[in-house]
Amino acid sequence: MAIDPTDVPRFAHGSRIPGWDESADLEKSPLEVPDPATTHVPDDLRAEIEAHVAKYPPDHSRSATIPALWAIQRRYGWCTPEGIEQAACVLRLTPAELSAVATFYDMLDTSPTERNRVYVCTNISCSLRGADELLETFREHAEGEPDVHVRGFECLGACDIAPMASVNGTYVGPLDADDVPTLLRQLRDGEEPLPEKQLARRPSADPKAREPQS
Amino acid sequence: MPRPIREMVTFTLDGREVTAPESTMLVDAALEYGDVEIPVFCYEPKIGPPVGACRMCLVEIEGVPKLQAGCSVPVKDGMIVHTNTPRVKEAQEGVVEFLLINHPLDCPVCDKGGECPLQDKSFGWGSGISRTVEPKRHFEKPLALSPLIAIDRERCIMCYRCVRFSQEVSEDHQLVLQERGADTFVTTFDGHPYVAPFSGNIIELCPVGALTSRPYRFRARPWDIEQAGSICMLCPAQCNVSFTVRDERVLRVLQRDHEGVDNGWLCDKGRFAYQAIHVDERVTEPLIRDGGTLRAVPWELALETAAAALRRAGGRVAALAGGETTNEEGFLLQSLVRDALGSPDVDSRRGGTLPLELHRALVAPALQASVPDLQYAHAVLVLDTEPVDDIPILDLRIRRGVRHQGVRLFVATSRPSSLDDRARGIVRYAPGAGEAFLAALDAALTGEGDVDALAGAAGADADAVRRLADGLRDAGEEVVVLWGERLTAGPRGADAARALLNVAARLGLAGRDGAGLLEVPSAANGRGLREVGVLPNAGPGLCEPSAEGRDADGIAAAAAAGEIAALYLLHTDPLLDQPSRRAWGAALEKASTVIAHAAFLTEGIAEHATVVFPAESHAEKEGTVVHPDGRVQRLRRAIGRQGDVRGEWQVLAELAARLGADPRVLTASMVSQRLFDAVPFYAGLTLDEIGGRGVRWPEREQAGALPTAALGPFALEAPPAAATANGRLRLGAFRSIWAAPEVAASPALSFLRPLQRAELSPADAERLGLRHGERVVVASNGHSVSALVHLRQAAPEGSVFLESGIAEHSAANLDGPLVEVRRA
Amino acid sequence: MTDHLLFSNIDEPGLRTIDVYERRGGYGSLRKALATPREELIETLKGSGLRGRGGAGFPMGLKASFLPKGDMQKYVVVNADESEPGTFKDRELMQKNPHQLIEGIVIAAYAVDATISFIYIRGEYVHQADVLEAAIAEAYERGYLGENVLGSGFTLSLAVHRGAGAYICGEETGLLDSLEGKRGNPRLKPPFPANQGLFQGPTLINNVETLSTLPHIVELGSERYAEIGVQNSAGTKLISVSGQVRNPGNFEIELGMSSREIIFGLAGGTFEGREIKLWFPGGSSSPVLTKDDLDLPYDFDTMAKAGTMLGSGAIIVVDDSTSVVDVALKVATFYAHESCGKCTPCREGTSWTRKMLTRVKDGSATPMDLDIMASVQERIIGNCLCVLGDAMAMPIGSMIAKFRGEFEDHIERVRAEQERAILAGVSG
Repeated sequence: MAIDPTDVPRFAHGSRIPGWDESADLEKSPLEVPDPATTHVPDDLRAEIEAHVAKYPPDHSRSATIPALWAIQRRYGWCTPEGIEQAACVLRLTPAELSAVATFYDMLDTSPTERNRVYVCTNISCSLRGADELLETFREHAEGEPDVHVRGFECLGACDIAPMASVNGTYVGPLDADDVPTLLRQLRDGEEPLPEKQLARRPSADPKAREPQS
Repeated sequence: MPRPIREMVTFTLDGREVTAPESTMLVDAALEYGDVEIPVFCYEPKIGPPVGACRMCLVEIEGVPKLQAGCSVPVKDGMIVHTNTPRVKEAQEGVVEFLLINHPLDCPVCDKGGECPLQDKSFGWGSGISRTVEPKRHFEKPLALSPLIAIDRERCIMCYRCVRFSQEVSEDHQLVLQERGADTFVTTFDGHPYVAPFSGNIIELCPVGALTSRPYRFRARPWDIEQAGSICMLCPAQCNVSFTVRDERVLRVLQRDHEGVDNGWLCDKGRFAYQAIHVDERVTEPLIRDGGTLRAVPWELALETAAAALRRAGGRVAALAGGETTNEEGFLLQSLVRDALGSPDVDSRRGGTLPLELHRALVAPALQASVPDLQYAHAVLVLDTEPVDDIPILDLRIRRGVRHQGVRLFVATSRPSSLDDRARGIVRYAPGAGEAFLAALDAALTGEGDVDALAGAAGADADAVRRLADGLRDAGEEVVVLWGERLTAGPRGADAARALLNVAARLGLAGRDGAGLLEVPSAANGRGLREVGVLPNAGPGLCEPSAEGRDADGIAAAAAAGEIAALYLLHTDPLLDQPSRRAWGAALEKASTVIAHAAFLTEGIAEHATVVFPAESHAEKEGTVVHPDGRVQRLRRAIGRQGDVRGEWQVLAELAARLGADPRVLTASMVSQRLFDAVPFYAGLTLDEIGGRGVRWPEREQAGALPTAALGPFALEAPPAAATANGRLRLGAFRSIWAAPEVAASPALSFLRPLQRAELSPADAERLGLRHGERVVVASNGHSVSALVHLRQAAPEGSVFLESGIAEHSAANLDGPLVEVRRA
Repeated sequence: MTDHLLFSNIDEPGLRTIDVYERRGGYGSLRKALATPREELIETLKGSGLRGRGGAGFPMGLKASFLPKGDMQKYVVVNADESEPGTFKDRELMQKNPHQLIEGIVIAAYAVDATISFIYIRGEYVHQADVLEAAIAEAYERGYLGENVLGSGFTLSLAVHRGAGAYICGEETGLLDSLEGKRGNPRLKPPFPANQGLFQGPTLINNVETLSTLPHIVELGSERYAEIGVQNSAGTKLISVSGQVRNPGNFEIELGMSSREIIFGLAGGTFEGREIKLWFPGGSSSPVLTKDDLDLPYDFDTMAKAGTMLGSGAIIVVDDSTSVVDVALKVATFYAHESCGKCTPCREGTSWTRKMLTRVKDGSATPMDLDIMASVQERIIGNCLCVLGDAMAMPIGSMIAKFRGEFEDHIERVRAEQERAILAGVSG
């Protein structure tokens, strides 16, 4: 295509969605289910995916799609095309089918991403308690951090500790602006994130639940 | 599996009583039986069950609080439906409004404009007023989805018909949705193009201008064009098509839905190879050889040259027909050779004929399965054919049966099949060992005979053969065997045919509705040509000929020995179409006259023809053909003949006249009539009766006029054992869907032209020290071809498979059964 | 007020381990259930009046009775994809008392004769999924799961399936597609999961809280359980209270309690000097109520009568320091983000509403846009493939209806500010 869309005013209002402007690469071959004879799959990855497959009834190995994508993301940091091809080879699906699933879910990344994922909940209950400002603070402090990906996220199901964040899967909150630099330092140093603010250690809010019952 | 029988029910539609078959979806019942259109976008029953995604078809059903999607509500007795209440209207206007929020409305520059369901539905059911002021999404467009298809994502209304086609119909699973919500878009994985044998269907499925044909883009507007229905003649599937014609040029090919033939799908060859009609390489005037080269001459000179040469040959003439030859042309050809030239040597098969008895048995009406039977049978056995290459559209039919009707699919082939993934049972046997495999299956079905020894002779796993026998027996009564003509090629073809008939007999297929055999001939009209007498041992109607002639192999040998002076090639280049390239190379070299009807100067024609008559394309032809399931179909002219092309029936009739046997036919329909009179089981057919949908002759009363033949079971001879590899590899040949001169000649399709590749199992490759993609030499008896190694996990150990329908490095250059593979 | 059932001793140390759970009498209900004929057990569930705790409030026993009898493979699927904004009760149940859930699953599976079960847990709940997996391993070891459960001849497998972040997977058919390894698009209904669910087999699909209640119903008996709560809203319910309250969290209440008592009594009420502007009674997809509705009893029927719904039992409190425009935009943005994109009204309607609200927020809208927006909500409601579209349209519609003046004032104020800024620029 000769036109550079960035030069055209009608493309400039910001409704950009990744992928929509991508043409197929006609130099590539069409991609079917990867043939095991020509696709290298690391043995441990194959074993991990096959262990997931075993959780589902026979003939329903496709159910292991999300677990396989998780395995890919853990191994390569994100769902790389190469990893998707490997998982597709084990699951006997086309890579396209896996990519359709991977792009549907917020937690699976299909482009390169930093290893430490900080999801700041910005949904209604958290935002009523300052989550949008918290996210801004995170963004400011995380700028220049090489291995931290900060992202506003939909309701993480922890409105009782609002405003909160999920740090590599660990829920912490309620957070204030002072917690942000501490947390980022802990990530740098490989420490546990804010141990005293972890949801896992929090008692129930229900007063009666705390009282022993007969 | 019995096809559903549906009771009629009566429901109320907008205050009127309408009667329709029970459980018909409301939108269909309303349109077909009540003449009320309920608008739809995502609904397309030929893809599969409704998904209710677009919400355009909302209707009010009394007693149900919410509006219901009419595409997914089966009609019930007493149901009261309203399609035009204010509530329905409000909802429909709402859906149109939603669909147009982001639709660019660039209709003036859109290929779909004028034939666009979104335009029609917006006009019919929208409010005509836009209330949105938000900027629409804009993206770069159009983009390439493949060399054949352009995608315009702005226009997409996310009905995802195309994706469902890829997932549920062609099952190539290459086209998917990515992202979510309003960001969702249609795409492939990581920028790979969507290239698959049936990809073009998504263009026709798209209800907006989001998917357009790159070869058709901006070539015409709907008001510039006319549609002309005919039959695609590029393979035996004989799909019903409609040619889009502008100024006597074919610009596009669309499906012409026929449940009994194609179910409304086309393969990409059928859809795009129309380009070959209008390319410079096409032969559009008569040529004669002059000083070593072919040069264009006036018709009179060409005809006289041909007639003189045939006269000179004095009966030492032989003819082969293939490709797009119609029944009428075949009929005139055999009459020319037999009656005017006095030679019995005519054939239309690859690699030898069968005894007349077997020809008759194999087309016996009692044994014929129809195309829809593939979809509704209890079990389907795919035998020695790869449907996607040999008869593409039936691949989709088989998949549909497996997916929606629970058909049990079994595959018995030498080369791994694309249907393997859908099969309940697979048997692999050595290339060319079909006869031994069938003998083993016969033994397993009867419980008599040594299954282990016979399976061993076939190079097959005896247990797999037993499981197949059990699977076929247990599936139910209706079994369809889809078998490839190549099973019965070669010197032991008759034995293989008998073994096939035995299996049919053991399964009790004769006379059973919904069951039977369905042959995949190697030529598009292979069945028709045999029925009209283009066989060395059968005249029109499979009658005894006055004299028995030589078959294709015999003709090649006789010509090479100088016993045949003139060869008449009607739409066939034996170097491409016959199994042994070398035998035919010698034959053509030796023959003093080679007269060919050809559209392209393929190797054999270019080097050896002395006279070339330009062949009509299938868009220019009139006549009839016979579908593999016995359906007589009619070709109608869509465009005028290009250049100086003449009707080929005229050429054949003219030659016969010059040779003193004027058939006295003045029009194409006269030839058809002559043919219907000559073939007893076509008796009484008329072109009107055949019409646009065809007539299955085995279902007609006159079918009884086919001479009866024994259908078995027969006592079988012990089949020869397949060669043991002993360090070498067994050679298997296949012809891909893309190995056709029309593909090579069509600019849009030529990228699909196959290159030779040697398909090997990883085990053999390791033993030979070969890697994927490496160049190798495949050799036998001093002859060799060059190929790239292509590893396939599913490839059986001990065999190598090569492409046979290509000009260079064809498998036909090699003599089997064993070859050597080494690094180049 | 009755004693706590689900939350009883929820903070007891080690409750998540099988030893503590058993010591408290855990898995006793399972023994009792396995000794009861299936039909009788289903009658008990029906008689208890338990309504689904996931959001729709469909009677649980009735749903279980819809599964066909016969030899076909049947499934139980636990909906642990808790993702309705404001809802976090299942999280606490799974994290603190996983065996209560497992016991409920086995009872339900036995009742409907299912032998394969899955817990579909949202991918964000990493810790909770780990806890469940450990608990499941313990339960297998003690014979509560696997072949021949407690010698009864009944067999059940149970595995945890982790999602990966999509609200729509909380919709039961979207969840099933996701569990089958596809995009989590809701399916056309009918067929309902009870007839064709997971892998096309009959499937009972229930929320975590619903299934966690089963051991208590079996223990108490249907009559005693039905006595708790009010008419058509039997039993105790976990309520998640969040937003602008002093003591947000999960509380177990007897249905029918006054809403004011929940918000002010249990959750500590609003912050100093603030008043309630609006509150969502059942997650962000429920039409909003105002301070005038605080004395309504909190139960299924009363909420429905008030034009809203109890939903998942998540109360979100918004006080008068917050603009309704911000709340509406937040809600619309969420549902537009989470729309799966399959059906037209939801895909286009949610994103259009979000765009319109963005214009309201920045002052470039007009009151006519509010009319269009209200009409767009009408065109979404009831016309979608699943309820996600309604989940946005209902609260947005209710906010426009109840706070129209505030929307108009906001537009007017922002525009006036912008005009002043422009004039200041010109004159300056």
